[in-house]
Amino acid sequence: MERKDNQSPRGHIAGILVEFLEVAITSVVFLKGIYSPGAFERRRYMNVVVQRARHPQLRDYIHSAVSGLLPFIEKSSWDAMWKCCPSYWFYENKVKRYQIFFEGLVERVAVIFFNTDNIPVERFMFKLTVNQSFDSKVEESDLEFSLRSFLIKLSVSQPLTKVLPCDCRWEITAYFRSLPQVRNSKDTELWISTDTKQWQQPPLITPIKSMNSEPLGVQLFLEHPSPSEPKS
Amino acid sequence: MSLDSSRSANSGPQNSKRSFNSNSSNNKDNSSNSKKRKSNQKTLGMAWGANSLSTSRSSFRSSPFSDFGSYMVEKNRKLQNQFDAEASNSSLSDTSTKPIFRGVSIFVDGFTVPSSQELRRYMLNYGGRFENYFSRHRVTHIICSNLPDSKIKNIRSFSGGLPVVKPTWVLDSVAVNRLLSWVPYQLDQLASNQPTLSTFFTSKISPASEGVFADAICEVKHGTEDLCLKDASKDAKFSEAGEPSEWRKKITEEHDELMHGNTNSKVIEEPSSSYSEASQEVKVVERSNLEQDDESRENNRPQYCPEQPSASVSSHCFDNHSVKGSPHSTALGPLKQCHSTLGDPNFVENYFKNSRLHFIGTWRNRYRKRFPSLPNGFKCMNSHSDVSADTQKTAIIHIDMDCFFVSVVIRSHPELHDKPVAVCHSDNPKGTAEISSANYPARDYGIRAGMFVRDAKALCTHLVILPYNFEAYEEVADQFYNILHKYCNRVQAVSCDEAFLDVTDLEGEDPKLLASAIRKEIFEATGCTASAGIAVNMLMARLATRTAKPNGQCYISPERVDEYLDQLPLKALPGIGHVLEEKLKNRNVRTCGQLRMISKGSLQKDFGFKTGEMLWNYSRGVDNRLVGTIQESKSVGAEVNWGVRFRDLQDTQHFLLDLCKEVSLRLQGCGVQGRTFTLKIKKRRKDAGEPAKYMGCGDCENLSHSTTVPLATDDVEVLQRITKQLFGFFHVDVKDIRGVGLQVSRLESVDTSKQVLERNSLKSWLMSASASSEERCDVSSIAKDRVGTDTEGKSMGGNSGVLCTDPVGNSVLRTNNTSNGDGCSNQILSIPQLCHLDMGVVESLPSELQSELNEMYGGKLVDLIAKSKGQGENSTGSLCFHPPELSKEEAERSHNSDPISLSRTAVEMMGKQHILEELQTVPDSGTGSNSNAISIQALDNNDLMPSSLSQVDTSVLQQLPEELRADLFESLPAHRRQEISTLGPNRDNLHHPLCINQPESTDSGLTNNLWIGNPPLWVDKFKVSNLLMLRFFADMYYKSKSAENLSSILQCTIAESLHPLDAKCDAWNEAVHSFNELLMEYIKLKIVVDIEEIYVCFRLLRRLSTKSEFFLEVYNLVFPHLQDLCFGKLNTFLALEFSILTSLH
Repeated sequence: MERKDNQSPRGHIAGILVEFLEVAITSVVFLKGIYSPGAFERRRYMNVVVQRARHPQLRDYIHSAVSGLLPFIEKSSWDAMWKCCPSYWFYENKVKRYQIFFEGLVERVAVIFFNTDNIPVERFMFKLTVNQSFDSKVEESDLEFSLRSFLIKLSVSQPLTKVLPCDCRWEITAYFRSLPQVRNSKDTELWISTDTKQWQQPPLITPIKSMNSEPLGVQLFLEHPSPSEPKS
Repeated sequence: MSLDSSRSANSGPQNSKRSFNSNSSNNKDNSSNSKKRKSNQKTLGMAWGANSLSTSRSSFRSSPFSDFGSYMVEKNRKLQNQFDAEASNSSLSDTSTKPIFRGVSIFVDGFTVPSSQELRRYMLNYGGRFENYFSRHRVTHIICSNLPDSKIKNIRSFSGGLPVVKPTWVLDSVAVNRLLSWVPYQLDQLASNQPTLSTFFTSKISPASEGVFADAICEVKHGTEDLCLKDASKDAKFSEAGEPSEWRKKITEEHDELMHGNTNSKVIEEPSSSYSEASQEVKVVERSNLEQDDESRENNRPQYCPEQPSASVSSHCFDNHSVKGSPHSTALGPLKQCHSTLGDPNFVENYFKNSRLHFIGTWRNRYRKRFPSLPNGFKCMNSHSDVSADTQKTAIIHIDMDCFFVSVVIRSHPELHDKPVAVCHSDNPKGTAEISSANYPARDYGIRAGMFVRDAKALCTHLVILPYNFEAYEEVADQFYNILHKYCNRVQAVSCDEAFLDVTDLEGEDPKLLASAIRKEIFEATGCTASAGIAVNMLMARLATRTAKPNGQCYISPERVDEYLDQLPLKALPGIGHVLEEKLKNRNVRTCGQLRMISKGSLQKDFGFKTGEMLWNYSRGVDNRLVGTIQESKSVGAEVNWGVRFRDLQDTQHFLLDLCKEVSLRLQGCGVQGRTFTLKIKKRRKDAGEPAKYMGCGDCENLSHSTTVPLATDDVEVLQRITKQLFGFFHVDVKDIRGVGLQVSRLESVDTSKQVLERNSLKSWLMSASASSEERCDVSSIAKDRVGTDTEGKSMGGNSGVLCTDPVGNSVLRTNNTSNGDGCSNQILSIPQLCHLDMGVVESLPSELQSELNEMYGGKLVDLIAKSKGQGENSTGSLCFHPPELSKEEAERSHNSDPISLSRTAVEMMGKQHILEELQTVPDSGTGSNSNAISIQALDNNDLMPSSLSQVDTSVLQQLPEELRADLFESLPAHRRQEISTLGPNRDNLHHPLCINQPESTDSGLTNNLWIGNPPLWVDKFKVSNLLMLRFFADMYYKSKSAENLSSILQCTIAESLHPLDAKCDAWNEAVHSFNELLMEYIKLKIVVDIEEIYVCFRLLRRLSTKSEFFLEVYNLVFPHLQDLCFGKLNTFLALEFSILTSLH
């Protein structure tokens, strides 16, 4: 969440986006009721009421996951192919882990809820498009307005989601367009491979919110396994 | 503004009492948060605000307080301390702010823009207070943007009687750096419900304090003898009577002047009133004034005299009858403050209406619109001339109207021709107006432009001063250019009355003869004389004109150039102004001959590279410029520095708004949008007195501020916001402002789709067409139809559809003109070539008409008719539109397949006159695109055939006689078969109403642009459709609020369609298909960027499908495609009902 004072507009947008993702992911986790409501507190962000994790580890996990994405949202080209991933252990015996496929520039950020067999039950997908060529000043109030609508919509989208089985876990996953180059950089050390399984069939999606205000486009949709998905 | 107000959010007292112990990482997190927030506080408002209930509760549990009350007391105290500490910090760090909010303590209720944290920061910086918790005792203003109904109903218990104000109050106050009255910023919800006493006062008082309005009230009063009103106006006058001594003095003024004063105020109300009207007005006013006068002398002598101020300027004002009248008439006496910009609510508009410079400036746009064909045709020719320049002698004619502004005005007054006449915006007895142009007799007296009228009158007592006549200028300028373009297609317009012509290419024509022919024609057409200079380059041609004037022409042969220049004073060279002249004079250089003595290097050293080179070249008569087009303007703006006087900020804002409107109009007129905005202000110098020129700007400092926005705009509201903001940067006393200008630069041309939107272009085109001749009116109405066809043909790529009239067509038509390069709209009508006539049509004409036509063609027609008899069967072709050819070749008349488009219906229904006109006008547009409402085509034009009957305007179809219609229908399938076989499957086909069962060809490869334009293409397409369903849907487009989204249109459809929409008609399948196409395009457009919108649309469609068979079918058809696309683009399926819905029945 570091933002320098004299950043390029692109970096600036990336900063806002990452900050927004942190809040939105927290809201998703709150929405799914994985933790008791007491683990969150009401805060205001962009002038709307949102939830914030009170437990430092939970907060750190979300924070470091998305801020780890920052350089990859900012950068635009990638070559090498590898992954890494840190893992975190959280309280209440739940394993939280995040996994990032380095496919290059971040294309999607997902919050995946999966059952004990590591089979995803539900995915909240943030699809990002950051216009890298956009270099002029960003109309922040517009951006703020659009992003705020996400948070508002998210807070009422509970009925669209599935009831999770107990004992389920979740993780933040980022999908990259191509793999990063910087083998030894600190940015990439954090990442580990995931053992979360993928769906065999194309999923069904339920769009929650889309916005496209010039440099930044974000779409949020829910993904559920297709009915024809083989049950394991 | 470095500020850490946000720190309070995180490091406030309640934070330290968190129930869990912050570990190290948390602390780090916190500190980094607050650090970060310092930099972006402004951007995202408050991040993770601190005042949440849960926090305070939880901290309360672990706190040492006995009860909640004492906790709150303590908390409030701490918050206050904290605020004070921060306030002192920020005021130390930021000395430029002044405590404008001293004594103000705000409480922010609910969601506001800007956020409460930002408001808090303003309070912090500008000496106000910010209360986190509402208290009647501490809070002075409640800030909120919106209130729930319950609070509105019970406003007193909510606000405790305190003012409830919108947050813009704080912002605006900060912007102008002083505390504004909160009254205008009262929450709308409240203000509209209950007009308060204060709002009543503000609306009454402000006009009353202006002389003119008080004046008007007086009239009402005396006219009606209403006592109440009388009192009111007395009050009003009282409030106005700032300088009682002034008033008393004025009572001694004479009665008739008062009368004039009143007349003025009338004239303001009707600025367009003519002389006769104005004089009538005088009578009316006179009477009322008499009454008024008498009565006022009896009643309230000492107070009475609101008419007075305008008396001093009254007489000339009346004479001018509102040419500049309005600003004058509102002016108070000399040396008193003159609220010109105040008294006239339309000051800016009137100002520009009466400004000659404005006329010249905006004329360019007009010119460019009238002769849009130039740029293209020009470039290639320029390159050609580059090559030929060496080998061939160039010949340039510079042509300039003689004292344009005067001669146009006096052309209808032959008696004035040899009298000294000057044009000036006012003929004020004070004589402080500037002469803008004088004719040659007047110049003989030494009268020059820019001279004060009084000085001019001193030189020549019988000088006639006339006002501007802008319409006449426009008319003459248009005629002038029409003539120039007729003779030569390389014209560079310099001004409305001055142009360069490159006649090099016109070989075999003596430029001298050409020039005199042009001059002669100009004189015959306009009644004004022009002078011409002919030489090898633009510089010399211009100088030659100087010698030629008035009403003559001069040729400078290349051999004589040196000789001519030798004695030429430097001042005569273009580009040499006062400053340069002075500098050269100091070096004892006065003529070109002397200038030639100086070396190029030396000139460049002294005057800079470019100027030096220019001087060197010009003194030798060298000028490498080519006769080109008008340069693209780099900036667009408007500036007013006459009659600008403000009383308070509100006047200024009003004025700025008007200025923004003007600038926005100009931007739109040029079809550009700008990103950089510069506001210039002329500020009276401290020691400067009232300027010599009446209402002029006098001695001023020029100040300016500018800003750049990311997105180019021409929107008034955006302009206004920016201007307001810019204006806030000037810390100027509004009373010292003498001129304001707004300049927009970094222009970007509006992209084509938007440009099409611009109604101006179509209008101006039509207007110019209608101006040139009566008949063209007819054409222009037809042109609309034609335009529609054009568009269709172009954008649909032959795709079938319903005829629509679309503004896009305008540009299409224009490009056609461009490529033709003959500026067709101004061509004189000519009869079409014989081969263009459709014999089928001609035969069906009444015999007398036929013979008339025959005469026009010199008897050849009869032969043709006879010939065509044999193949007559063929040519009773199908009824369809001819899609216009846009390529150049095909547009040429000689093309064989050029159809004759003559409306058969028209032939049968209209009188002979009309037919003849159509015969003439239709082919006149010079392109192949002149398909009229219906074109009857020969079958051999198969490569031009449109796709189907669905393109035919059904209304026309219906008007056809029964047998003809049947005939057409019969012939159509035959044609279609042929078409399909020749064109292959790549051509899109629709079901057409007569053969529904025809298999539908796939349109997978097709990319259409149904969603392009505003309104999108489909709206127009649907609107003219013969299918009720589609028309209904097009209506919905206009009804829905945010019409660029299909979902909102669908929503509207659901709301509107109470009764079942289904009426199974013939064209059912066609409607379904059209709609499918629309949807498919929309999906393709949105699927990547806005899946939500697609999702919403389909949910709505599903809802509609329960109501309507039509939508059910559409849904079932499109849904599989949607899922295909989803899978293709996103590798997912949309979670809608998976199965295809079954029919309701």
